[in-house]
Amino acid sequence: MELSTKSKGSVQIVSINGSLDALTAPELADALAAELRGGRARLVADLSGLEYTSSAGLRVLLNNVKDARSQGGDLRLAGVQPNVKKVLDLSGFMSIMKSYADVDAAVASFAE
Amino acid sequence: MIRLMSDTKRVALVIGSGSVKCAAAIGLHKTLLRENIQVEMVVGTSGGALYAAMIALGLAPQQAQETSMRLWTHQVTAKHNRRSLGQILLPNAFGFDENFGTVDDTLVMERLRAAYGEKRIEDAKIPLYLTATDFEHGEQVVLTKGNLVDALRGSIAIPYIFKAHRVDGKLLVDGYLSDPLPIGVAIKEGANVILAMGFESPYQGKINSLMRYTFQVSSIMANNLLKSNYAFHSMAHHGEVIPILPQFNQHIGLFDTEKIPYVIEEGERAAEEQLPYLKKLLASSV
Repeated sequence: MELSTKSKGSVQIVSINGSLDALTAPELADALAAELRGGRARLVADLSGLEYTSSAGLRVLLNNVKDARSQGGDLRLAGVQPNVKKVLDLSGFMSIMKSYADVDAAVASFAE
Repeated sequence: MIRLMSDTKRVALVIGSGSVKCAAAIGLHKTLLRENIQVEMVVGTSGGALYAAMIALGLAPQQAQETSMRLWTHQVTAKHNRRSLGQILLPNAFGFDENFGTVDDTLVMERLRAAYGEKRIEDAKIPLYLTATDFEHGEQVVLTKGNLVDALRGSIAIPYIFKAHRVDGKLLVDGYLSDPLPIGVAIKEGANVILAMGFESPYQGKINSLMRYTFQVSSIMANNLLKSNYAFHSMAHHGEVIPILPQFNQHIGLFDTEKIPYVIEEGERAAEEQLPYLKKLLASSV
């Protein structure tokens, strides 16, 4: 998995590429926790390069969406690919997380 | 030869409900055998129970394919239970009760006995857990010992089609009613790498009969139950749940036995997709 972070206004965009699983989830957990510790609770997870997620990845997303919301922000998804969407649908995530076609739409949603 | 297992990793194979689609588990098993990945327990429900039992008993993939093609054909539902029509139309006169079922289950019992003989669940080479649903209380029942055919018959007791089946004093109906993908059983039994092969129940398309209407309602409820249980188990489990979700490009009906070879291929394909990660996970210290 490869992670990169950038800012767009008050929104932090975390791009997650490759596979989000038990071996890689701790790295994402650390990255998101660092953002939240720094008071940056408006987060977009760019999943356009994410090919796979297992339950370990789902747990990281869930923990951080809860933490972000408790700080008045949110963790929103962008560019979810079909393979990952299948798992997010099955696990009910699409009913609790906001998802957008691309990063621009997800970033813009924070202004609404 | 490398044996992909470790002291800390307990791999479970969980096969959900899905009638003929569950034959995809043969494809998954084929992949695991080829890669010498040891499974420490097999859990199955409904159609998935039939394949969980074959895998746990040690049937080779080809043998499992042949067995299931003999077992599950249109003929098993061809003979109607004549009394059931009377029970629907005149419940008082015919005596409607919890043993209602529109199909005569004589043939399915014969087929199950032909496939599994007098084996007991505890005879399985790999620990086997079969689930059904307690018709009186709605709870999941996990069967770990006793006559295998009886357990399977209870697990596949599709409401309205097959009458409930009594095992050890409990009236059992299809396992999908309590959990279409019983990952919880594997978690409870200590598995920390769970290969979960699940299937959504098909929607009916044209609703032109009471039976189709009933199945549509049942599918809606089962699919929502599948999602909510999967979400809960994924979140609650400390280990890893690896979803293995075969994609079928053609409609697979309840008794499309002739499509089993295709279904197996798709199961194999879905397993291959997860294989690189699974091997990495089993070789890791995480």
